[in-house]
Amino acid sequence: MNTDGTIHARAIRKSFGPKLVLKDVDLDIASGEVCCIIGPSGSGKSTLLRCINGLETVDTGVLKVNGEDLGYYETETAYHRLNKKKIAEQRTRIGMVFQQFNLFPNMTAQENVMAGPVLVKGAEKGAAARQAHELLASVGLSGFGDYYPAQLSGGQQQRVAVARSLAMDPEIMLFDEPTSALDPEKVGEVLAVMKDLASKGMTMVVVTHEMGFAREVADSLIFMDEGCIVERGDAREILRNPKERRTQSFLEKVL
Amino acid sequence: MLNSNGHRRETTVSGVDPALKPRLRRRSTFEYFAWIICCLLAVGILFSVSTNPNFKWHVVARYFTHETIIRGLMLTIFLTVASMVFGTLLGLVLAIMRSSSIKPIAATAGVYITLFRGTPVLVQLIFWFNIAALYPNLTIGIPFTDISTAVDVNALIAPITAALIGLTLNEAAYMAEIIRGGFAAVGKGQIEAADSLGMSGAMKMRKVIIPQAMPSIIPATGNQVIGMFKETSLVSVLGVAELLQSAQLIYARTYETIPLLIVASLWYLVMTLLLSYPQAQLEKKYSRATSLLPRKAKKVVLTAPEGIAR
Repeated sequence: MNTDGTIHARAIRKSFGPKLVLKDVDLDIASGEVCCIIGPSGSGKSTLLRCINGLETVDTGVLKVNGEDLGYYETETAYHRLNKKKIAEQRTRIGMVFQQFNLFPNMTAQENVMAGPVLVKGAEKGAAARQAHELLASVGLSGFGDYYPAQLSGGQQQRVAVARSLAMDPEIMLFDEPTSALDPEKVGEVLAVMKDLASKGMTMVVVTHEMGFAREVADSLIFMDEGCIVERGDAREILRNPKERRTQSFLEKVL
Repeated sequence: MLNSNGHRRETTVSGVDPALKPRLRRRSTFEYFAWIICCLLAVGILFSVSTNPNFKWHVVARYFTHETIIRGLMLTIFLTVASMVFGTLLGLVLAIMRSSSIKPIAATAGVYITLFRGTPVLVQLIFWFNIAALYPNLTIGIPFTDISTAVDVNALIAPITAALIGLTLNEAAYMAEIIRGGFAAVGKGQIEAADSLGMSGAMKMRKVIIPQAMPSIIPATGNQVIGMFKETSLVSVLGVAELLQSAQLIYARTYETIPLLIVASLWYLVMTLLLSYPQAQLEKKYSRATSLLPRKAKKVVLTAPEGIAR
């Protein structure tokens, strides 16, 4: 069975010091699925996303991304940490878009997009430049290749960040509140790029407060609170008709 | 009277429009007092300095460009440049070691920095000069074989070598802390972005962390250069004929102590002033928000079709 682009988590637990931020979370995301995670701040949704990409390690539980145990290999008795090279390799298959864009300010938009293929995969520069050109065009930024991040608006920066992640040709794209740091006018341009990506069959996990995006694009929706998944299911169904009291009260406030 | 804006123009006795009158800074009595005291002091000192024959300004003038002094100055410049270059390189290595996730490596750098920052440079210099007392023979060879050569440490550690080693090793500890501070100023998000692309540790350092740490490292390094220039005077105790020692060599012969110390001081002052200007420029350059833009970026016009927010 092809497991590329799938995420499987069972009973994952994560604590920061004494504070348990993920309490036995289960998660199954199929290839090509677009899943939105919503919830109040501090509910553990960002931490869950960061675990899926290996920025945080889980304390216990099973976490398979693209069909492989993420960051560890399993033996009879324990999970052993993989070496850095293997972990980096796994990460190249998972794209991540951050709330604060995190573009490299010392590189142009084009160099940012080329950074992954050239520096990590050792791609030939000419080919990487052509690919970067196409990717920037696909996010509506052709002609912006020579600009430095500081010369771009927030929305433009975030689109470059999406192109940078896509340059690694990942199977899964993770978005951590991609529009939260943007002014309202620029939110649409980033969401349009994400919608386009979803229509191309990319597996996407999106932590967001954009209910409109969830309703329109997401296949499934997860509502998290206090480190637990409170409710999950079809996105439109939950948004229209939430079953849990907690979900109802949250949606009442944000919609 | 009505002016062009239709407002009534008020005129005072002097005929000046009150709206156009300058607003003056308040000068306190203390300010006038301070001016008077400082001017008197300056005049007094100048008078004393210029009339006291013991300053022997003609001697100062004679020796200012004396061959021995200039040679000493050159050696001082050499020591400054060499110890800064090697110190910075070693400091970079130490800073990288210090931020390593491997405990023994980070701890080694930590111990080094503590030792070299925690003891006086003067003591360190004398220590390296006398290292032969600890290790009289340095044996270089391949372990578990007979191939080796022994070097006499006393011959190896000439005063100038000791000076260079001492200044370099000490400077490295300070530079390590400056560079590490620069690393720490690079946002966590940048490192996460590099991680999420799967960059290796060395790649992350070279392409993401170091270029972004530069704006905070460079001005601080400029300061270190200025400090180092004066610090080199300490190696005169080892008998290295740098600027101060050159002056001492002359006055040991002529007994014109003060004039020669003035010669040396003037040279230190001149060099420090010369270095201060580029240092101030560097600081200005890197304190601007636009310092985030590499120099190449200026070619790009700052108006994009969609306009520039933030």
